[in-house]
Amino acid sequence: MANRLRLAIASTAAAVLLAAVAPAQAGKERLRTVTAGEKPILVQDSVRRIPQRRQGAIAPIPPADLSRIGPPQPNLPSEFIPIPDRWRLVDSLGVKVNFWDPYNQNTLKADRPLPGTQDFFFNLAVISDTVIEPRRLPTPISPNSTQKPGSNDTFGEGEQLFYLQNLVVSLSFLQGDTAYRPPDIEFRFTPVFNFSRAEVEELAVLRRNPAEGTVRNDVHVGIQEAFFDYHLRNVSSRFDFDSFRIGIQPFSTDFRGFLFQDNQLGFRLFGNRDNNLFQYNIGYFRRLEKDTNSGLNDFGEEIRKDEFFIANLYLQDLPRLGFVSQFTILHNRNDEDSEFFFNKNGFIERPASFGDERLHKYNVTYLGYNGDGRVGRAQLTTSFYYAIGEDNHSQLNGNLIDDNADIRAYFFAAEPSFDFDWIRVRGSFLLASGDSDPFDNRQEGFSALFENPQFAGGDTSFWIRQGIPLIGGGGVQLTQRNGVLAELRSSKEHGQSNFNNPGIVLVGLGTDFDVTPELRISTNFNNLRFEDTSNLQVLRNQGEIAEEIGWDISAAVIWRPLFIQNIVMRLSGAALVPGPGFKDLFATSQDGDDEILYSILANGTLTF
Amino acid sequence: MTGRLGFLGVVLALVMASVGAHAQVSQQALTAAEVGQIISRSVQEAQARNVAATISVVDRVGNVLAVFQMTGATGKLRVTSGKGIVRTNGLEEVQDTFTNLGANGSPTTRLGAIAKAITGAYLSSSGNAFTTRTASQIIQEHFNPGESFSPSGPLFGVQFSQLPCSDLSVRQATNGVPTGLVDPTAGPKRSPLGLSADPGGLPLYKAGVVVGGVGIEINGVYTIDPTVADQDSSVEEIVALAGQFGFQPPDDIRANRIFVEGKSLRYIDQDVNVLASSPASAPAFVNGTGGNLVAVNGYYAGGGPLAGTAYGNPESGFATDPNGDYSGVGGVVFVLFNGANPPVARFRPRDSINPTVAGGGLTTAEVRQIIRSALTVAFASRAQIRRPLSSQVQVTVSVVDGVGNILGMARTFDGPLFGTDVSLQKARTATLFSNTNAGTYLGTFSSTVGGTPAAQNANGVTIADYVTAVRRVLGSNALQDGVAFADRSGGNLSRPYLPDGIIGAGNGPFSYPIATWSPFNTGLQLDVVLDNIAAHVLFADVGGANNDTGANCTGFTATAGTLISRISNGFQIFPGSVPIYRNGVVIGGIGVSGDGIDQDDMVSFLGLHNAGLVLGTGLGNAPPARRADQLSAPGGFLRYVNCPFKPFLGSRQNNVCHGK
Repeated sequence: MANRLRLAIASTAAAVLLAAVAPAQAGKERLRTVTAGEKPILVQDSVRRIPQRRQGAIAPIPPADLSRIGPPQPNLPSEFIPIPDRWRLVDSLGVKVNFWDPYNQNTLKADRPLPGTQDFFFNLAVISDTVIEPRRLPTPISPNSTQKPGSNDTFGEGEQLFYLQNLVVSLSFLQGDTAYRPPDIEFRFTPVFNFSRAEVEELAVLRRNPAEGTVRNDVHVGIQEAFFDYHLRNVSSRFDFDSFRIGIQPFSTDFRGFLFQDNQLGFRLFGNRDNNLFQYNIGYFRRLEKDTNSGLNDFGEEIRKDEFFIANLYLQDLPRLGFVSQFTILHNRNDEDSEFFFNKNGFIERPASFGDERLHKYNVTYLGYNGDGRVGRAQLTTSFYYAIGEDNHSQLNGNLIDDNADIRAYFFAAEPSFDFDWIRVRGSFLLASGDSDPFDNRQEGFSALFENPQFAGGDTSFWIRQGIPLIGGGGVQLTQRNGVLAELRSSKEHGQSNFNNPGIVLVGLGTDFDVTPELRISTNFNNLRFEDTSNLQVLRNQGEIAEEIGWDISAAVIWRPLFIQNIVMRLSGAALVPGPGFKDLFATSQDGDDEILYSILANGTLTF
Repeated sequence: MTGRLGFLGVVLALVMASVGAHAQVSQQALTAAEVGQIISRSVQEAQARNVAATISVVDRVGNVLAVFQMTGATGKLRVTSGKGIVRTNGLEEVQDTFTNLGANGSPTTRLGAIAKAITGAYLSSSGNAFTTRTASQIIQEHFNPGESFSPSGPLFGVQFSQLPCSDLSVRQATNGVPTGLVDPTAGPKRSPLGLSADPGGLPLYKAGVVVGGVGIEINGVYTIDPTVADQDSSVEEIVALAGQFGFQPPDDIRANRIFVEGKSLRYIDQDVNVLASSPASAPAFVNGTGGNLVAVNGYYAGGGPLAGTAYGNPESGFATDPNGDYSGVGGVVFVLFNGANPPVARFRPRDSINPTVAGGGLTTAEVRQIIRSALTVAFASRAQIRRPLSSQVQVTVSVVDGVGNILGMARTFDGPLFGTDVSLQKARTATLFSNTNAGTYLGTFSSTVGGTPAAQNANGVTIADYVTAVRRVLGSNALQDGVAFADRSGGNLSRPYLPDGIIGAGNGPFSYPIATWSPFNTGLQLDVVLDNIAAHVLFADVGGANNDTGANCTGFTATAGTLISRISNGFQIFPGSVPIYRNGVVIGGIGVSGDGIDQDDMVSFLGLHNAGLVLGTGLGNAPPARRADQLSAPGGFLRYVNCPFKPFLGSRQNNVCHGK
């Protein structure tokens, strides 16, 4: 079991990294934190899928774990987490201790207690994550000056190159019998050292000031984990338990990161019952400000006036064996209506430069159901949220006498998949409601707290990976980097949720080919549409905006040269074939010719 | 490629023509009784709030229909942006200057009320209802005001249009100074202080058609609203709302439903629910009750409320083109009229005076074609500031020769009125700055105010210093090397920050540093007309020996053969014009105003381009290598034009100005 702990730690760190993928569109590169919840699940998945999946293979019974989340998306590198089998090895087998070898008995990896103690362990994980990301995005010509003469129009040259290097160092100190039950105490501290570089072809894209040019280098150190975890008690002989965790910790509201998946400051009580048939979380989080370009937590800024309460319950084998159901209620209270906030690059974030640009605040409650597991031969993940709340001032309706707005929005996603020997076929469907009348007192566009969707190809997909500025429609993003929703918020990292948005409908088909144990190829075909373009039409004062965004076509190759998770290379490429709605909004090149919008991601992770 | 686009534009225009032909504004006007009603309702609300107001009502083309001053109303107007900028900086605290001149009491709240009413009327149309609050939002150093680092407002500088010295504007009355056209009903009339950004000026509508504006001045402070993040409670605006009651614009065209760069525009900050009185039950208007109608020199003779003139009736100075110069361009075209009986159309296309046609100047046919092509682009294009969505662009187009003589002017039928004067300002500004003797010409400034040192205005600003400043930024050949300046390019240099909006950056050379810059102190633009405005204020407020300013702005040398300067209705510093070139030499300019600034840019740039293709006479836009976007300034190259996203109706074309 020691290994399980270690794994959890390592995998968390790995996920932090992996996520740490690149930057954002114009002006906002950021780290993506895939850090969702605890990772034992990842372990389970690893066992299931690596080595090669075989038809009829029996999935091991999930380990007892608290904040269990479901299997990760099949093509995420984060699933390639070291298999925890070192614990089987014992000194008597003649294994030599080598501090540089994470794959054998190692005190630095919590395989052995610290010298002179019986139950104090230390776990170190170091991960290097490198991203090189060429892409082409719709890019505006700076309104106040240009990079080159002859720039007579609104849309400029869209070639961009993003480079990112993260170094994650996770330090964990824990006490307990790590072999047969959860540890009693854990302190964990995970700083992430980030360097990013972005190159674009137009001015005022990376920073508001055009004088700062078309290249931006930035460094940041973020604290992505800093928590204390205390095992309160065991409530059964099978180690069902209650624990709490306080501090900056990873948390995910659902299996795929649709509503919230981030490392944030909070307090969480969690545990399980009835031989792990029930698991629960009760938590309170107050969001830290993010660093603009890395997406990591930023302690140089005041803590945000944004908090949420969460309670959820996981039920194993509901409605049938092998399927986990989760019920959740989350209440988000945002009180950011007192001062303007500008990001590090000089762009306004709160309130968004949108509508009447007046400060506002909102309360919204999300009621959710999430499911994940097997249904016969199929795997199924599903998610449903209903958002109900109130915005104290609608930025769009312009009604001075009654500017309050009710929030009523919904979200649904499902991804069934089927295995055929070494091939997995996935179907993806996602619907986020859109607002149908920007001038009424209802906001019907679904907006999340902090999405990080591992869905429909995840960051392999163009639409999910890239942030696209709503050129001509305000200082907001049509879609966020590492997001699937068309939320029209200033940014995922700094901005408020925005329920005045066009919504989105995604229908996709994907396949994963486990060509060899060390090589996987994945493909994704997604069709994207806006649910309702009324808001977009008003924002751009443009009557003709079709619903179809287009086809998002992508493929990824994942290579683990040594069959282990410690070295993982990924290369993916995606292209957006613009549909009428996209063409109504953007030009894809300066000369008016249709250029393919693409997103290439070269990613290497090295893990100790 | 270009030919194809041009052809497509024509096709689009034909398609849209069927739409445009049906969409015409009905002729509406205020009656004298209605003007009285508006005053009475305003007075009632002011009384309910224990304040004394000065109230002005104008018609759509700027005729002042009434000026009413309540008993106890503040008479003197303090001009301040609220930034603490002292006297001798433009118009900031200019009342103190008048006091020093022995005109304590000037400027008056009467002039403030007139400027506000004219602003409400002039900025609005059947597709958009704007107010002085809207004006405040779009003329400041950032858009939105308070959004640090964002570039300046799209109509930056529009407050100094409709100037009392404009050679284009029609005068209501005169005191003998050469004033250009004088007519009791024809517009566009001038405004004593230019356009106003002080809340309290609203448009008036009947049946969805602009029939005028109402302006309220109460506190005697003529200012701006420095932030749009809050929600003001302006008594002036609230009283104006009471006055406007019964003449409100349709909800759907109010500024708050019109979005520019994703930001909605401000219409008002308080709605009728806060009224302290019931406007519908206001008593009938009786002069002498609660105050009196007061005469204002040059604007209103007093006595009784006047009826407005219906826009579209030639008497208003605007009506359908009677000569067929612009038939078949995709919609109904209005031209200007002189108000005579019978009215005669003004500014029909004519030959260039300087340069002469023999010397390469524009011919009548060329002028006509340029305007036709521009209007064709307008009618085919997507409006940015009009509702319903998918409305056509509505603008005024002006063409001038190499020294600013008007060669032709026409407008789509419902363009906001302010664009008439502004389009001409823009055309002249681009033409002058592009001329090889621009620097020399700017040095010819001589104050029209007696006792002022040569080459300085009454505030002691030496105009030639601007040339030095520009050359410091762009090099010693600037303003004499024949580089083509679109108004967007000159505008880049006319902002308090260069690059625009970037806090910490230095000022543009035509502007002032942010510490002393304000909408009442814009730099070159205001400094060259300051003396004209001062003279006019003295005439309007005091009269007597104080002669009105002439119909010729700026203290620049008059051009040979005319009595006016090259900038005789003032500079304009927001986008929407390009110079006209032939054989590499500037021979004139085209200016466009009335819709979004990107639309204004495109109509001028693409209109000229398309006309060049049709004419084949060698005229067109400046050669790309001669344009100001070849000039490097702090923050990058200057901009020339910025054509809009999704420019045309019924088409997915983008970047339509690229490569032209």
